[in-house]
Amino acid sequence: MSISNEGKNIALSEGTTGAKEIGTTPMIDFETFQIKSHFWGRLTIWAVIVLTLAVPLYLSFVLGFHPGWSTIISGFAAYASIVMFVWVLEPISYYPVLGVSGTYLAFLTGNIGNMCLPCASIAQNVVGAEPGTKKGEITASLAIATASIVNIVMLLIAILAGSYFISLMPESVVSNFRFVLPAIFGAVIAQFAIKKPLFGVIGIAFGLFVNIGPVPRSLQTFLSILGTVVVCMLLEKMKNKKKEA
Amino acid sequence: MEKVLQTANSFPLWIFALLIVGIVIFQGIVFIKLCTKASSSVGMTNTDVKAAIRAGAFSSLGPSLAIVFVAISFITLIGNPVTLMRIGIIGSAAIETVGASIGAKAAGTDLGSANFTAQAFTTAVWVMCLGGMGWLLFTALFTKSLGKIQEKAAAKTKNVNALNTISIAAMVGAFGYLGGSEMVKGFNESIVLVVAFIVMPIIIWIANKLKMSWLKEWSLGLVIIVGLFVGYFIS
Repeated sequence: MSISNEGKNIALSEGTTGAKEIGTTPMIDFETFQIKSHFWGRLTIWAVIVLTLAVPLYLSFVLGFHPGWSTIISGFAAYASIVMFVWVLEPISYYPVLGVSGTYLAFLTGNIGNMCLPCASIAQNVVGAEPGTKKGEITASLAIATASIVNIVMLLIAILAGSYFISLMPESVVSNFRFVLPAIFGAVIAQFAIKKPLFGVIGIAFGLFVNIGPVPRSLQTFLSILGTVVVCMLLEKMKNKKKEA
Repeated sequence: MEKVLQTANSFPLWIFALLIVGIVIFQGIVFIKLCTKASSSVGMTNTDVKAAIRAGAFSSLGPSLAIVFVAISFITLIGNPVTLMRIGIIGSAAIETVGASIGAKAAGTDLGSANFTAQAFTTAVWVMCLGGMGWLLFTALFTKSLGKIQEKAAAKTKNVNALNTISIAAMVGAFGYLGGSEMVKGFNESIVLVVAFIVMPIIIWIANKLKMSWLKEWSLGLVIIVGLFVGYFIS
């Protein structure tokens, strides 16, 4: 609809380089894009924060099912002790890959590892954009935004249709869906291993180590990413020094 | 329990859930528009933009389907609207289940048990909503600072190369971790992962060889189908 119209406008503007504004679709530079990303990203996330607070408040005080603050706090404290570190470490760890716009998108819609990142890296591969560059960020955000819409629409349909369709499927098919995740992860690791085989080996080594080794659950993601980044940086430095010598 | 599900599936909760869904969709559309507008400034053609959107759509089908299947199991525990609003935003189904069970336990009962009262349901919703808010608050408050740190680092060309290396390494580290967590689940999962690891480069190689870039857009979907088949036959 409006999106495809804009696409057409862009097609028109392609030949005329330097033109900043064509028709009804003003082009924006990357800086403006960042500023607007902050604005819309924050606005949408704050809106969801308010709504997610409104739901338990409604249950507690409008319907009158308030369980008492001490019950809520004791439950929340137990839960927070599991996820607390992840709140901070995930946005920081994924930031170099997602960029500003990708962070706002991915941390609202969720499913970062199993959906957003794979979609972003496939799109970057198709378009030929490097992660961590401006082109990479725009490509990733386009893919994540689309994925986010697809995901929530599918979820909405599935929930509206209820568990009816799934109940029709044989148990063996349903339990088979546990193989979706290993397939996704194997495929995406391979995609990077083709480009940088050594990085792939290091990543898998760290990934297996934090899963098997005595690492607390909440620190696993962070340690695997940090370890891989540090070792890969050191290797790149050594390579550069060799080139210079 | 049945009375609780009546409350859990009541009309006002549907309104809250649909508003949240609306915001997620709205955000997606706003960012697709913004990215499209900014695309030419980073050297992307109209074809690139469309290819990125298609890649996002096709690649998300498989993961989405898997998410939906997990979500369905959640419905029987906390009702339709809360499932929709919790699975639809940050927080995986797995972690939300943990939050809901901890909430129910704090209220002195178990998720899905016969004495799961409306108070226990409310506690579970409190715990899930407050728990999920951590990510949202951090992102809303600190993404700008993260951006500034990166901006400063990107001012030098030497740093740009470093940033690129960091991004790729961070991605590999993240997927190494996620892949590792699947491999420790069992032998079958490990086989599927290895098969996917081998099939993906083959698809990319064929796509490059025959110059079929559309095949790359479908690559993840195809690998998932292959993975499901292999998983089905070995388990």
